[in-house]
Amino acid sequence: MRLLEINNLTRSFGGVLAVNDVSFSVDKGQIIAIIGPNGAGKTTLFNLMTGIYPPTHGTIMFKGTEITGLTAYQIARLGIARTFQNLQIFNNMTVLENVMVGRHIKSKTGFLGAIFPVWPVQREEREIVEHSLDKLAMVGLTDQAMQPANSLPYGRQKMLEIARAIALEPELLLLDEPAAGLNSTETRELIDTIYNLRDQGVTILLVEHDMETVMEIADRLVVLNFGNKLAEGTPYEIQNNQEVITAYLGEEGSGC
Amino acid sequence: MKELTRRKRLRHFLIALFTVFIFVLPFFVSNNYYLSVLVVIGIHTTVVVGLCLLMGYAGQISLGHAAFYGLGAYTSGILTSTYNISPWLAILAGAMGTGIVAYIMGIPIFRLKEHYLALATLGLGLIIHVVFMEEVELTGGPSGLSKGIPYLAIGNIVFNTDFKYYFLVWTVALLAIILANNVVHSRIGRALRSIHGSEIAAQSLGVDTGKFKLQVFALSAVYASIAGSLYAHYITFISPSPFGLMTSIQFVVMAVVGGLSNIWGPILGVTGVTVLTEGLKSIVPQLIPQAGGEYEIVVFGLILVIIMIFLPEGLTSGVVRLYEEWRYRKERADETS
Repeated sequence: MRLLEINNLTRSFGGVLAVNDVSFSVDKGQIIAIIGPNGAGKTTLFNLMTGIYPPTHGTIMFKGTEITGLTAYQIARLGIARTFQNLQIFNNMTVLENVMVGRHIKSKTGFLGAIFPVWPVQREEREIVEHSLDKLAMVGLTDQAMQPANSLPYGRQKMLEIARAIALEPELLLLDEPAAGLNSTETRELIDTIYNLRDQGVTILLVEHDMETVMEIADRLVVLNFGNKLAEGTPYEIQNNQEVITAYLGEEGSGC
Repeated sequence: MKELTRRKRLRHFLIALFTVFIFVLPFFVSNNYYLSVLVVIGIHTTVVVGLCLLMGYAGQISLGHAAFYGLGAYTSGILTSTYNISPWLAILAGAMGTGIVAYIMGIPIFRLKEHYLALATLGLGLIIHVVFMEEVELTGGPSGLSKGIPYLAIGNIVFNTDFKYYFLVWTVALLAIILANNVVHSRIGRALRSIHGSEIAAQSLGVDTGKFKLQVFALSAVYASIAGSLYAHYITFISPSPFGLMTSIQFVVMAVVGGLSNIWGPILGVTGVTVLTEGLKSIVPQLIPQAGGEYEIVVFGLILVIIMIFLPEGLTSGVVRLYEEWRYRKERADETS
């Protein structure tokens, strides 16, 4: 089933084409990786998909509905969650509270309920806590739940962002360079978590520089270069694609 | 889960303890002047609790809160003295009216961020202050409402002394603190804090940040309005001067001094700043006989600078942080030994 369809997506920043006429689609249950040299437009693509800014041209369809031009919070409500390349942890909260914000759209207490926490509000609050603790357990952060989020080391903060994103039970999860800055043990844990999520039915789209990781986990890859789509295919196809090798290694490339 | 319950119990225990302290305190204060200072502290605390929700939790700023304080005071004053409406009804009308004004004015204002937002709220405060000055038929202009504002009363109890008014004001202030505490530890409170933490992450988790900013702005304006009404019925005379820019700045200084994201911050900040200004009122004329009222702004500025440099989280959170760091280190040490 088609989950996401990107058609002729273009975004320019003052004459610079950050993303130029990119089209591809993502089927449900897949792990898709977007790769490309620095400045290829990978993060811009993510920002377009999550409504941080609108595209100049083109459309984005999610589950058959057009989501182009929707705001970030509307897109999140439809079931697309993301993490960030530069961490966007809520430093003013505990680890657990960070994940609890991820339950925002799955709960409904309003200002009145917040001011007067009657029984149903308290019950909802307990559900939020239990669910969030489950997600923390998935990424191995149970013991740190009550710590301030900014007291976690970098790699743990990245896992916290994933826990927070999956707390909203997304159908599509966008991971922006999840393995960057992780050591090999942490990368292993990350890969296990990604497989785990895929097995639970979450479709995963990731931007990643770590080629070893990408080639291992991705079902398909989309290669961007200077905002254009250069190639698309299985890891094997991409590794043997002459254009991709040239883009990465220059004209006289001779293997990594 | 256990840790959460423990923290919640501790908060409730502290609030209960403080409530007892507050209601016993006036029996040990015989001096009327001190009692009146405590009443003013209660009124200002109510405003600053609301302001802290906006500034400390949602991470926004308002340099115009004295205007909402004034809207509450004038609505109460005008409705009760000119139109003979029940004071309680007038307080309610003021609160609702001010909330609606804040919400509507907030729609264009909260498109702005940071310094621009600060300037826009400052402008809003100035405009409302001009209305108080110029709508002479309604407000009495610069000389104030000419007719007396009645005292508040419940049945036969008339709140016409500092001692009685103290209990009324602090009941409201404590309610303000308890309800704000409920908000902070709820889904809404987390959404507000997430805006402060990272607006872009908050949005990507489905938080409608624009809506929440408006709602918390309106809520903080309602707090200020209720406090303003209480002020009007306490002094029983109002003029525009206490609702100007100076008061707005004073509220912000109080909030920052106490600590923006702690429920005890407002009480500490308001008490600290009030005691300091009252102290200066008696000391400065003796030291510099020709000094006018303007020295206050110099003192506020100095306090703000010193706090921002040495304790950026304010007095309460600064102390809490030091305590938590100490406890965390102790736990670590216990684990390893």
